Amino acid sequence: MLVDFGLIRRAQAGDNAAFNEIVLAYRKRILGTITRVIARPEDVEDVAQEVFLRLYFSLDQLRTAEVFEPWLYRLTVNAAYDYLRKQRRRPEYRMSDLSEQQVLMADAVAGGKVEQDEQYQKKIRESVDSLLGAVSEQDRILLMMKEVEGLSLKELEKIYQVNENALKVRLFRARQRVLKAFGAVKGKEPATTG
Amino acid sequence: MREDDQLDALFRAYHAACPAPEPGVNFMPQLWQKIESRQNYGFSFRRMANALVTAAVAATICLGVYTTMRHSDTAMYSQSYVEALAENNTIDTDLVAPARLEIDQVSPMN
Repeated sequence: MLVDFGLIRRAQAGDNAAFNEIVLAYRKRILGTITRVIARPEDVEDVAQEVFLRLYFSLDQLRTAEVFEPWLYRLTVNAAYDYLRKQRRRPEYRMSDLSEQQVLMADAVAGGKVEQDEQYQKKIRESVDSLLGAVSEQDRILLMMKEVEGLSLKELEKIYQVNENALKVRLFRARQRVLKAFGAVKGKEPATTG
Repeated sequence: MREDDQLDALFRAYHAACPAPEPGVNFMPQLWQKIESRQNYGFSFRRMANALVTAAVAATICLGVYTTMRHSDTAMYSQSYVEALAENNTIDTDLVAPARLEIDQVSPMN
């Protein structure tokens, strides 16, 4: 927890200064998560503000301060999903980008070093964005939360309020679809398979 | 390297390639602006809803009063159903008028 329970209770009671402190504590973390989920840097702040806006108007529904973080993540997931649904962005697989990314990945894995220049990062972002086009918006967010944000199944269980087995099944299926897309691209690029 | 592992490596690289951006200087002022505008919108919506509810209650009371007044003024509703039926079917009552026997013209000895 980045803030203490007392601060959350004060914000729940209508203390705007306390709410301000909560936003200041969590905004960077939320901005990071949204950046990775929606992959649209120009809209990240808008979506993050929507998250905190929803938080402000739903704080009174929070039963206990102990579940604040899953609650905030839940709001983040919902806001990101609403954004993605509005965008209805289903990019075509960009074969050229993926092929190039495969080369970079093979180099990185084999050599154990990763180029940190902007060009490389851009390629990685585009590649993952393209691969995640193989799954629905919900599954994209779920995969991101698990694989990229590194949340545990227990944490995801609290956020999504579904049981662990259902989450496992959903994650497995989503990952299989992404793997299939990944494999399809690899199959077309024999030089990168090493 | 297995595809599973390569995908994991790709996700890790993606995390590194997408660091959390620094929030802009207008992040907090814009957020509070949005909160205030939504509060104002909610307030005006509540006011409109209250006005509509008040108008609906007033209309209901007016209709109730009007209906009650009509009830008390109409004589028709003071009669019972049988009385109203009898009043509207006076011909029937003539047809079923009691038969009069002229006893004095008829001699029982004849």
